[in-house]
Amino acid sequence: MADTFILGIESSCDETGAAVVRSGEQILSNVVFSQIATHMPYGGVVPELASREHLRAIVPVVRKAMADAGQTYQSVDALAVTQGPGLAGALLVGLSYAKALAFALDKPLIAVNHLEGHIHAVLLEERQKGNHEVNFPVLALVVSGGHTHLYLAEQKGKSWSYGNIGHTRDDAAGEAFDKVAKLLGLGYPGGPIIDRLSSHGDAKAVKFATSQIKHPDRKNRGKSDNLIARTDFSYSGIKTAVLRYVETHGMAAAIARRRNTLAGIEKPNLEDYLALCDMETLNLVASFQRAMVEDLVAKTLTAAEACEAATLFVTGGVAANQELRQRFESESAQQGLPVFFPSRPLSTDNAAMIAAAAYPKWLARDFAPMDFSAEASLPLQRIQV
Amino acid sequence: MSAPAASARETITYSAEETTAFGRTLTDLLAPPKLVLLRGDLGAGKTTLIKGIAAGFQAASEEDVTSPTFTLVHEYRGPRATLYHIDLYRVDTPRELETLGLDDLFAENSILLIEWGEKFARFVRDRDVEITLERVGENDRKIQVTSR
Repeated sequence: MADTFILGIESSCDETGAAVVRSGEQILSNVVFSQIATHMPYGGVVPELASREHLRAIVPVVRKAMADAGQTYQSVDALAVTQGPGLAGALLVGLSYAKALAFALDKPLIAVNHLEGHIHAVLLEERQKGNHEVNFPVLALVVSGGHTHLYLAEQKGKSWSYGNIGHTRDDAAGEAFDKVAKLLGLGYPGGPIIDRLSSHGDAKAVKFATSQIKHPDRKNRGKSDNLIARTDFSYSGIKTAVLRYVETHGMAAAIARRRNTLAGIEKPNLEDYLALCDMETLNLVASFQRAMVEDLVAKTLTAAEACEAATLFVTGGVAANQELRQRFESESAQQGLPVFFPSRPLSTDNAAMIAAAAYPKWLARDFAPMDFSAEASLPLQRIQV
Repeated sequence: MSAPAASARETITYSAEETTAFGRTLTDLLAPPKLVLLRGDLGAGKTTLIKGIAAGFQAASEEDVTSPTFTLVHEYRGPRATLYHIDLYRVDTPRELETLGLDDLFAENSILLIEWGEKFARFVRDRDVEITLERVGENDRKIQVTSR
């Protein structure tokens, strides 16, 4: 079959991204304009800043993606864009741009669900490495600041189907990492620094229990739901437990000092953080991360067994966490379950995953009508053809 | 909006389940249109209470109501009200707030449930109902509902 070149565009949250991917298996370019620096003073993503930054970034990012790939607007076969879920204003920037470009070039436009993109990021990299032997069904844990979802993915002919078999009941795992980092005076985004500090503390020092979810309310759903046990997550409780620990152990003054000192350092490195963290803080950070990792791994592997998954994908920003990767690798091996992660650049939001997820839709000629719109809370459909 | 006499309710719940159940009892008080502020520290139970409110209005099942910290606005549509669950934890300046376009969400059948809304004077001034959650024990929460 002839090669297919798809230009993907992603603007659902922090990052403006554009990428060209060949036939869902080779990244020709992958450009991400990160807005984290812009957001840092506010301790999070702010929607207006997000949209404004996307507006500023989108044209240069797309141009660079085309140039890096050695492609022209005429040589790409189709455009793909994130339709949702995400921030409405941010989504709209990528979507409007992609629509206009597709219209001007008279090329088909493919709408992609952001969560589907994260799943295809893993597949894309495996194919790029020459691994075409991924067995189905695939259980995918999508774990980031806004999501903690388990999807059972099946490939039937050209089309993919996704069954959501679990999600967080309250906070996403990445949100818990970020809120804990913020309340410890470690700044935003918190996941990476907590990961790096954790290896310097004793993970057994503080006992944290993550909430175990009972699922009585899941009965009487659709028939297909009843075939598979639900596996939900809950990370609000552990966040509160860290807050309580901080309050009851007189850590407030040290935290305020840390926050102020870090604010005065332009690009703090690991040594700066370590110098500002006493042993009690490092132990707390390590113990928090250990509890998060153990819960994510245990629940995901239990779900994999229950739904007889043949392969496990762990994807999304939190999938870059080193301890999470190590634990998944060792424990999946014991279970005889192959586990795959995206590389760090493909873990976080990027457009290559959007172009890759669009490829099966290209094969199925599943094109978006010109009047489709952004959907901030777009679900990943049970069946997506 | 008309100005009925101010009223106040106070209760103590002893578990997250009780907090959610209390939320279910608030549908009459929160009949749309309403602007509702939810106050309480991290982990006080604001989202837990909203699970009950959304279920009470048949707008969402409890397990589908999750934290909007990253997504900022979650929308739940019920037969007689559309609920907007809004989290301003990361929104700090009036200019940033302005661009969220919350004013567009006000409608006859809207209920705006705002977490961390007390950061902004206009919400404190315009709110119809204020719900304060306070942690008084490991699982115990004092919930005060003030309506005007």
